[in-house]
Amino acid sequence: MKSRPLEMPPETEDELLLRIRSGDEAAFLALYRRRQAALFRFALHMCGSVPVAEDVTQDVFLALLREECGYDPERGTLSGYLFGIARKLVLRHLERGRADVTLDLDADESPAAELRVIDDPLLELTHREGIEALRRAVAALPRRYREVVVLCDLEEVDYADAAVALGCPIGTVRSRLHRARGLLLDKLNQERNPRQSLDALKPVRCLL
Amino acid sequence: MTCQDFWNSMPEPGQVASDLLLSAHLSECPNCAARMQQQRRLQTGLRALSATERRVGAPARVETRLLVAFRQHEGLPARRVAGRWAPAFVWAAAIAAMLLLGVVLVRNRQPQPVRVEVRHSLELASADSPGRFEGFIPLPNSAGLATENEEDVNLVRVSLPRSAMLALGLEVSEDRAAELVEADIMLGSDGLARAVRFLDSDSLLD
Repeated sequence: MKSRPLEMPPETEDELLLRIRSGDEAAFLALYRRRQAALFRFALHMCGSVPVAEDVTQDVFLALLREECGYDPERGTLSGYLFGIARKLVLRHLERGRADVTLDLDADESPAAELRVIDDPLLELTHREGIEALRRAVAALPRRYREVVVLCDLEEVDYADAAVALGCPIGTVRSRLHRARGLLLDKLNQERNPRQSLDALKPVRCLL
Repeated sequence: MTCQDFWNSMPEPGQVASDLLLSAHLSECPNCAARMQQQRRLQTGLRALSATERRVGAPARVETRLLVAFRQHEGLPARRVAGRWAPAFVWAAAIAAMLLLGVVLVRNRQPQPVRVEVRHSLELASADSPGRFEGFIPLPNSAGLATENEEDVNLVRVSLPRSAMLALGLEVSEDRAAELVEADIMLGSDGLARAVRFLDSDSLLD
């Protein structure tokens, strides 16, 4: 393996992919080590199963080895493409196992929930219990909101890459993220103050 | 600016509302200000959650399996994949070897206790074989020779430093005091030594 001079910037992922195409094992390893953790965590958040997350991570890179992998740099970055493969594998697993967690909310069409300032549970979000509560809240999100929160908020994928991964326009990423954060706040408020949250769910206007 | 306008044009919660109109709305609308505050805290919490998971990644076996698959795909000869834990195993083995070496060295440096070497097993003698007691010198303060009181005795052959002969009144040259000399010790039935017999012919010539 040729060593790169220290002053050279690290290779881009597209450069690594070119080397992988020519059979460079070191490039394959470098790309894997650069990307595996985020892909594994994404799959883990989406499936809640370590073995499945392992399989997804492995299959993403196996897919990259295939000639017909379909990556097109014109359409987005390799990172977005890899997350896209991971998402498809996760969806396939969820469809097989029907393991999706849904809150039964058709949220794109519904108005954003009014945020209630109850007793602020968010003050503790940086503490251990608060973080655990937030983790549970993320896991309880419907799949379409969970994936966008995991990608954009936890893995800090930019909106353009998230749009490639999710196969939707950037505007949809933004709106889903906005809605997902609202749901998270609802969930956290509900967990902290279930009584007040139930009161808040009472209809304020009769439509009949 | 309405609340809807505000949220339509609001930047991400983690960012600062630099637009004067947005800032003005925040200062005028307590609901939007409270909601904005919640969004920012949520963002902080999500960052904290993300930070706690930064070290989570796929197990090393995934990398191993992928490298095997890569070599198969590229038609490269299979080779033993070292894996991520190989350096740890090497270090562990090296540390274990160092510890073992240290134990061996320390044990070798510890002073060995002076032991009297027993060359032969116990030998039961009896008073009906008086010839076996020839040459024995009764030890001071002992009960005397076993032949005198017909006591069953044990004979034990040992190696003693020649200097032990001094205690029995025998002469020992200074330059040979450290040499070992074979001797039979007569042990009474109570286990106490009764007499000693030096076997080395030189013993009595010193």
